[in-house]
Amino acid sequence: MNCKKAQALLSAAVDGELSLKEQQEFEAHIAKCADCQREFREAQKTKNIIREKIVRFKAPQSLVNSIIRLTETTTG
Amino acid sequence: MKTERLPETIQRNTPMPATPRKNRQPSSGKTVSQQERIKQEEFQEEAVAHINALYNYALHLTMNPDDANDLVQETYLKAYKFFDSFEKGTNCKAWLFKILKNNYINKFRKNAREPGKVDYDLIKDFYHSIKDAQSDSEDLNAGYFKSLMHDEVYQALNSLPDEFREVIQLCDIEGFTYEEIANMVESPIGTVRSRLYRGRKLLRGKLNEFAKKYGYNTDTEEST
Ligand SMILES: [Zn+2]
Repeated sequence: MNCKKAQALLSAAVDGELSLKEQQEFEAHIAKCADCQREFREAQKTKNIIREKIVRFKAPQSLVNSIIRLTETTTG
Repeated sequence: MKTERLPETIQRNTPMPATPRKNRQPSSGKTVSQQERIKQEEFQEEAVAHINALYNYALHLTMNPDDANDLVQETYLKAYKFFDSFEKGTNCKAWLFKILKNNYINKFRKNAREPGKVDYDLIKDFYHSIKDAQSDSEDLNAGYFKSLMHDEVYQALNSLPDEFREVIQLCDIEGFTYEEIANMVESPIGTVRSRLYRGRKLLRGKLNEFAKKYGYNTDTEEST
């Protein structure tokens, strides 16, 4: 596997979306390519930052209630 | 809107409290068929459970709590009408997201942002409306909004072109698979892959900019 192929697979490697064969080839490549390995680690960290830091809001209770009411008054 | 209630924040992965499952008897005034009642219960269990995720997605798309509210309501109305066509056993959350996205496109098409462009005015307005609301009700979640406004990660994500922001959001925040994302954004899986790759690269650049500008340590540098 060359760097170009490794980069094409990089996001899928971060997200666990590679096939077993791709995974093995990718791992073999980053084991000997420092550049791709660094990029892989950085992409992983970026993903983790987003997962941990983005603020999530709770749907307002009025909205939840109106959705529940909706199913009781609407005939599908 | 000055009197608007600020959204509350939640911990990630907090399960929705189960919808109370009363064994509803047909009310005396209105007869609900047995079939309809089963549908209601299934819908509440399967679909209403995802309301927080949908609300957040709508907030990110519209940047406006009122519009997000409307969008989620319309989505559920449509979803309930077509609930029979939902394939049991498939991902209900993905199905709802797709409906919401389509609704959003139809509703806001006129003002829709061009793919790859960021409407900075909209983002600015969003932050301003938060600011206004915050000064009106200092105690109500003000802390959260303050942290949101100053949050470099949030701003970095929002400054990405839509096509990148969207896949990152669907993948990293909502945890959808590539196949589900490809279906939602109506692009091949290869496109999802490359958008995630480029999006994360862009994002990393933005985070580093913020880190430099504000002297934050994003703790993303390897000390190798
Ligand atoms: Zn390489």
